[in-house]
Amino acid sequence: MKRPRLIPVILLKNGLIVRSQLFSIHQIIGNPISTIQRLSNWNVDELILLDISEDDHHDMRRDDLAMRYDGTKTLDVLAQIANVCFMPLAMGGRIRTLDDIRDRLAAGADKCVINTSAVENPEFISEAAREFGSQCIVVSIDVLRHENDHLEVFTKGGSEATGLDPVDWARRAEELGAGEILINSIDRDGSGWGYDVDLIKSVTDALSVPVIACGGVGAYEHLAPGIIGGGADAIAAANIFHFFELSYPNAKKTCLDAGLPMRDVGLDSKWFPRQPVYDLARRDREIAERLEKAQSPPANSNSISVGKSVSWCSNCLYPTINAAPMEFDDDGVCMGCRMAEMKTDIPATEWDRRKQILIDIIEANRCPEGSRHDCIIPVSGGKDSYFQTHFIKNVLGYNPLLVTYYGNNYSAVGRRNLYRMKEVFGIDHIIYQPGVDLLQKLNRLGFIVMGDMNYHGHMGICTVPMRTAVQHKIPVVIWGEHGYADLCGQYSMNDFVEWSYRNRLEHYCRGFEWNYFVGLEGITAQDMACYQYPSDQEMFDVGLRGLHLSNYTYWEANAHTKLVMEEYGWESSDMPFERTYRTASNLDDIHENGMHDYLKYIKLGYGRCTDHASKDVRAGLMSRGQAVGLIRKHDHVKSSDLARWLEYTGMSEEEFDTIADTFRDPRVWRRENNQWIKGNPWDVFADDGTAK
Amino acid sequence: MIALIDTETSNLRSVINAFERVGLALTVSSNTEDVANASAIILPGVGAFERGMAGLNKFGLVDVLKKRVGEDGVPLIGICLGMQLLAETSRENGSHDGLGLIKGEVIRLQPVEAGYPVPNMGWCDTKATERGVLFPDSSATHSFYFVHGYHVECADQGDVAATINYGGQTVTASIERNNIFGAQFHPEKSQDDGLSLLSGFATYLREKGQ
Repeated sequence: MKRPRLIPVILLKNGLIVRSQLFSIHQIIGNPISTIQRLSNWNVDELILLDISEDDHHDMRRDDLAMRYDGTKTLDVLAQIANVCFMPLAMGGRIRTLDDIRDRLAAGADKCVINTSAVENPEFISEAAREFGSQCIVVSIDVLRHENDHLEVFTKGGSEATGLDPVDWARRAEELGAGEILINSIDRDGSGWGYDVDLIKSVTDALSVPVIACGGVGAYEHLAPGIIGGGADAIAAANIFHFFELSYPNAKKTCLDAGLPMRDVGLDSKWFPRQPVYDLARRDREIAERLEKAQSPPANSNSISVGKSVSWCSNCLYPTINAAPMEFDDDGVCMGCRMAEMKTDIPATEWDRRKQILIDIIEANRCPEGSRHDCIIPVSGGKDSYFQTHFIKNVLGYNPLLVTYYGNNYSAVGRRNLYRMKEVFGIDHIIYQPGVDLLQKLNRLGFIVMGDMNYHGHMGICTVPMRTAVQHKIPVVIWGEHGYADLCGQYSMNDFVEWSYRNRLEHYCRGFEWNYFVGLEGITAQDMACYQYPSDQEMFDVGLRGLHLSNYTYWEANAHTKLVMEEYGWESSDMPFERTYRTASNLDDIHENGMHDYLKYIKLGYGRCTDHASKDVRAGLMSRGQAVGLIRKHDHVKSSDLARWLEYTGMSEEEFDTIADTFRDPRVWRRENNQWIKGNPWDVFADDGTAK
Repeated sequence: MIALIDTETSNLRSVINAFERVGLALTVSSNTEDVANASAIILPGVGAFERGMAGLNKFGLVDVLKKRVGEDGVPLIGICLGMQLLAETSRENGSHDGLGLIKGEVIRLQPVEAGYPVPNMGWCDTKATERGVLFPDSSATHSFYFVHGYHVECADQGDVAATINYGGQTVTASIERNNIFGAQFHPEKSQDDGLSLLSGFATYLREKGQ
């Protein structure tokens, strides 16, 4: 018996994975290595990697991450992927010659996917099949169903009509020697409506080589019809595998439940443990090199030394070189602005429907017999914590358990807000407080290793609630907003993106898992227990899901702040922040809006004021000109919480400055006459915010 | 030294990565001297039989392989096309001589049921014939990734270590004869099942003191 395949498709654009919609809107998900590593944890049947970059240039966009590329070319990236990919790998994108195929096979691909070059030169299919064997040549066909139902093949990333009929072209490709056909539906891309089953069936009926169905999957239930109704040999999808925890195992389970004889769900692979294995000698060398670099004076340079220099979103003021997974469209508008427009357009009836979806999920997973709480809410005591608790307890009427990671950097106001939650809401609250000795070490190490003293906080906040959920067997955890979905439009509202291990490790922890720190300053594995995420099997058994409340109710931070102040006496900061004009964020950590954020400025040339002002420009709360003025006032400020941090960690200010300087991004900063210089928005925008 | 033979038709990188994962370092070579001195040999291969043999001939490796593996008992595992090259002849695009280390002939897949295309690309469950090095537990079911249009029909059924049922046809999935091993599938691309199999092979080599 042959087992049908379930195939994730990874779209790679200039070094990062993107989510795609209608072949034209691309949102950055993250780096391919960590995603493919994750897929390797799960015994995935096969992987299709499509490089949709227009030019052969790839980078990770940041250099304070655990992971980096050893080169900038597609083949460099592929070779690195091959190190973590022990499933069959089909590689596509910009393949035009036999040498292109040979190079990709040598670098770790098992098959090559050709599309545009096959249409332009059909003989290429037969040449390639003769040279490498049919089994190696997958012809990919992108099909648009026109409004009059007419089907047409497109090339060049869905941008060029060919006049070809998909069935005729697929049959021709098979005759020429294609070993497999990948059918993708352009109009279904990113729609979440399910496969175009009629299209797939018309192709599978006409061919004898295997057909892979792709395009439109928005729920696990959409997968099986590609085989059951469409007659495909394999079913593929791209976006959905990025949205949910244990996406591949759960998708597989749904297919198995639908009666498809696939290979079993695989969890906690014996050969690919989820936890990264770090090269400790390399780690120690890199730390020593950074400290050494900090000792020597920085060299002068008259120009930006690498890559493209920074520019700004043509709507808000988000910079093109930044800390977040941000993409810009052809008009130079950032995805944060684009997604904000879409969110504002969601009508009230749709919000009612979304609220009901949330209620259904909680109802299905709550505990009416009373042996545990209905769900967990991770809280810091901030305005969002109050709003989440207000919504779940007092609007929906459930009984949540509050869980806090206490990073020992609370402001007095923040601490009051936190401790009052049990009184104000009459609710149970677990506050986990790691030993201060450990926190001091992790503050120092986080700063030296990745230029972030609050690394421990990101890791702790992301981990402690999920550990608690598994320990108490509570399947639903309610997070607030999806930070990157809001800030940089990383996902679309219809994705209903949920919490995941990969997102935690890659984005919150920059690829540095807890075990990276074991052995440094005498830290043991046991010291790091609270940062150790539940295993895949534990999460699968509990059915653990982390929902973002911002997918289910309209999220407007300013309105929420007003509500929680009026109804629950929540307090904003009693003094203004130095690095931003807002007063209602990050009271749980005095460094988060202070020196932690100052380090973002040191690295990438902008700070939280740019984040806040960009959001307020999008929301129509301030003009672009006003935003430029605020950024000019706040972004560069070295804030006074530094004194406390230096005392806390026993570091001198000079040590701090010289180590911080080693993190300056050479695409942003240059050094002239012993001064650090960078481009600024006020250099290019007039006072009214228009381009000079 | 364990030699990974480079005939310029293989997915060498994947094979190297997989063996590394189970703790074996391979030396890539197409040099006769290296192959003659190797304590074990990995023969990979992707593509057509004729091209694979042409690769071995180009580097003058046919005789040294026959001698070291066939006469001196040096362990060898052939993967995919590499396993087919071990046979006496192949009928892929004509008739071509193989290494003749295993008695039998390479023939095209002929599934009898509908819905089983050739080439066979995908995951199939293997059925082990008896307890051996590659399949220590003959009662367990494993899935491996196959990409092939042809298979080895062994003259001596005792050489068959595992089979698959492909559309009603019994197809040789793996061979094992003394020091000679073969996998029609790609263990280096078969995730846990594949790496466990390679790990078993690595243990066998270590126990033999290779």
